[in-house]
Amino acid sequence: MNELKPLGIYVHIPFCRSKCEYCDFYSLGGSRDRRLVDDYLQALSVHFKETGALAQDYVVDTVYFGGGTPSFFGADSLRRIFAEIQHRFRVDKDAEVTFEANPDSVTEALLKKLRNEGFNRMSLGVQSDRDDVLKKLGRPHNYEQARIAVQAARACGFDNISLDLMYGLPSQTCEQWEQTLRHVLRLRPEHMSCYGLKVERGTPLWEYKEAVNLPSDDDQADMYLKAVQILKEAGYEQYEISNFARPGFESRHNLKYWLGDEYIGFGPSAASDFAGKRYTNRADIHNYIRGMLEQDVPILSECETIPARERAGEYVMLRLRTNRGISPEEYEKNYLMPFSPLLDVIRPLAEQGCFLLERNRWKLTPEGYLISNQIIARLQEAQEASDPLAKKR
Amino acid sequence: MIDLSKLRNFSIVAHIDHGKSTLADRLLEETNTVDKREMEDQLLDNMDLERERGITIKARAVRLNYRADNGEDYVLNLIDTPGHVDFNYEVSRSLTACEGAILVVDASQGIEAQTLANTYLAIDAGLEVLPVVNKIDLPAARPQEVKQEIEDVIGLPAMDAPEISAKNGINIHSVLEMIVREVPPPGGDREAPLQALIFDSQYDSYRGVVVYLRVMNGVIKPGMDVRMMATGAVYKVVECGYLEPFGMKPAESLGAGEVGYLTASIKTISDTRVGDTVTDADNPAAEPLPGYKTCQPMVFSGVYPADGSKYGDLRDALEKLKLNDASMSYTQENSVALGFGFRCGFLGLLHLDIIMERLEREFNLDLITTAPNVVYEIDKTDGTRLSVYTPLNYPDPMEIAQAYEPFVNASIIAPPDYVGNIMDLCQMRRGEFKDMKYLDQSRVELHYDMPLNEIIYDFFDALKSRTRGYGSLDYELSGYRPSKLVKLDILLNGEIVDALSFILFADEAYARARKICEKLKENIPRQMFEIPVQAAIGGKIIARETIKALRKDVLAKCYGGDITRKKKLLEKQKEGKKRMRTFGTVSVPSEAFMAVLKMDSD
Repeated sequence: MNELKPLGIYVHIPFCRSKCEYCDFYSLGGSRDRRLVDDYLQALSVHFKETGALAQDYVVDTVYFGGGTPSFFGADSLRRIFAEIQHRFRVDKDAEVTFEANPDSVTEALLKKLRNEGFNRMSLGVQSDRDDVLKKLGRPHNYEQARIAVQAARACGFDNISLDLMYGLPSQTCEQWEQTLRHVLRLRPEHMSCYGLKVERGTPLWEYKEAVNLPSDDDQADMYLKAVQILKEAGYEQYEISNFARPGFESRHNLKYWLGDEYIGFGPSAASDFAGKRYTNRADIHNYIRGMLEQDVPILSECETIPARERAGEYVMLRLRTNRGISPEEYEKNYLMPFSPLLDVIRPLAEQGCFLLERNRWKLTPEGYLISNQIIARLQEAQEASDPLAKKR
Repeated sequence: MIDLSKLRNFSIVAHIDHGKSTLADRLLEETNTVDKREMEDQLLDNMDLERERGITIKARAVRLNYRADNGEDYVLNLIDTPGHVDFNYEVSRSLTACEGAILVVDASQGIEAQTLANTYLAIDAGLEVLPVVNKIDLPAARPQEVKQEIEDVIGLPAMDAPEISAKNGINIHSVLEMIVREVPPPGGDREAPLQALIFDSQYDSYRGVVVYLRVMNGVIKPGMDVRMMATGAVYKVVECGYLEPFGMKPAESLGAGEVGYLTASIKTISDTRVGDTVTDADNPAAEPLPGYKTCQPMVFSGVYPADGSKYGDLRDALEKLKLNDASMSYTQENSVALGFGFRCGFLGLLHLDIIMERLEREFNLDLITTAPNVVYEIDKTDGTRLSVYTPLNYPDPMEIAQAYEPFVNASIIAPPDYVGNIMDLCQMRRGEFKDMKYLDQSRVELHYDMPLNEIIYDFFDALKSRTRGYGSLDYELSGYRPSKLVKLDILLNGEIVDALSFILFADEAYARARKICEKLKENIPRQMFEIPVQAAIGGKIIARETIKALRKDVLAKCYGGDITRKKKLLEKQKEGKKRMRTFGTVSVPSEAFMAVLKMDSD
């Protein structure tokens, strides 16, 4: 029998209480229409059935419910989806099963149900410890609710809790950000994600971004480095640009995205990298339901087979987000491309303090992460200009 | 054969924005030359660019058929003229092709500097000038006062001038009647040897060069050999005819007095110069028509393809543009920083802007334009004299005995309240006050001698802002004067970027150098390392700024759904980088080269 390959499953829950001012994810703010929810559950189950048949050689070792707000969607629906997944896929008994939650929709009842069903990781959107800021961002909760949610999750047996925070918020200073971090660390999460606020076109915030006194890029850079330092001191390893974990608590699911492992996304706007293809579902729940139940509309917005050379570019782009970094041997062996042109780019940057060489792998320093778009673009240019290695016999 | 007594050739002159193009449209409409339905606003301006900017760049002509109130049918040839001070020569050639000119004056603004300049051009060309007061629909309209102003300032009878609103189509009929009544019919002798004035030409990929002309004497017919008297080129006429709003209408001949076009499979574009005389090669006229001059560009700028490999495309594009624009010039230039390109000559900054935009839009080129300069004259210590068109050729200071820079007579008209502001501005720009006179209670005309260099950058903008938009400007070259000049070099990361060098008045060097370093700092994006920006005269650093290293350019979130997006983002970033030029390790966006000009945006 062939060795089973690992697979990640992502399920998008496009429902939330209300859209936050900065959010550009696909989600129906305020809507939880019973009929729509039922249709959606049914569409997902058709999709699981179809896809499960294609994934016989795989074992699912991570499941991730993202959104939207899965906790707002409700425990019963989440349970039903997870049960369908277990029915159609081979799910490892030690699989990491994460759900995203917002403090306003986390209840003890929900936590208990999910924990009993095998959900073992909660990712809670805290964002800030300042209620005025939460309000400004359109978050439907305060900090106290976040604190209570974490306590409740602990009480219900969740021993892998991740908290999301944001920096670069309106009028935020580096000192305030430091306070927020220290405050939140008292909740002793296993995992933290710290994201710089990015103002996306098409969001309400975009319209009035000039008016809310957003910190400059330089200030944001300072906040980022502050977070890296504080979390390091508190015993968290920075394993990705924006992600920090106590030993053993890295998000196994999210790592798949950066390490080039396979995953399948279900639901509108979800993305997959499976069987050599990268594809994305259309960001429209009605289209998704129709495509699944009536089979008469295409559900993908994009689908491409990634050629090996492009995979080499992705390797650089994604791996450099992580503390694994890139390895010359791995690179040359997997992509049959010479590493030396990349090294010509890396060396001067290493002198500048942007790269580190550790156990023969090049990884970015926090300063390097901060300008990683520039660095990756340079590496990819060097890559595009280089010729493949002659095949070794 | 057309009855000359039923023919009228006229043009419209006006200050920019006074409604010339709109009036032209109404005339087309009123004479049913163009259906209202097919009427695109401002039909005569048929380049997109012209319509957007609301200025007529290239002269066009169109033939209107009009049945006058006296029951007779007339043919009216409207020759459109450019409205900006940069295009004086083209205006003068177009005017020479006419017997009359309608002078459009805005009923609220009154006479402005270009109104005067264009009127004098028309009067110099011997035209009957017929004032029309436009925009009477505006609340601020004061037609009676403006008429008085026209009489007082220009000395034209204006009390009976039609009061119109071209925008709203009011009184257009009276303008047509005035043309029929007041514009003299053309003269000319059909039997005399051919003399036809080229007032415009245009390249057409099927027919070759289309020459727009006014026949002064003789007749043009297909099949005959014609000679361009200034260039000496000889061609066989393939077709001649009239200019209709939607194209050309062939005719059997074009005789004295008539306006039209000819084609002759002309490929050599420089053979058809605006202002040249077309004659019969077998029976040539003794003399060309007066007034031809090779147009002198006053402002020179380096033009380089952003992508060095597009040099050939740029050359082809310039060649094509040059066909339609006798006043532009170009010669090859080679910069250490930018590689191969061209030093192009323009009539002024607006002209430069327009050419650049046309190159980018019509020929799809990404361009880098270097800081424009005027032509300096240098007496060298070895006794020779040198004309400097580009900072690249500026001699070593040790070899310079005396430098000279061009001066202009500038005329500025504005309400008296702003005289103080104008004088401050002109003084700042090294202007020498000559005189000032009141045109009426609300209007003052000031004359200054000024270095052309001080005008070409943003003087007009500065004038407008200091006079709340009321000031207007006209100028003409008056000659060269001795001057103290230096060449300023710019260093990025310690290396001279020759394409950023320029020549300026020595006393201004320090202030300018500081400003330029600041501007470059603003316009060069932060990069992965710190970049010193320095200005130097002959190796001595006189100003410095530092572009701090870029600290943040990162995608905070990159999960499954973001990967494709991120890849596209990286592609875009790489594309953007292609639009930059790299000097050593510094990437400079093409805008930075022009940004150094916008010095006085205070």
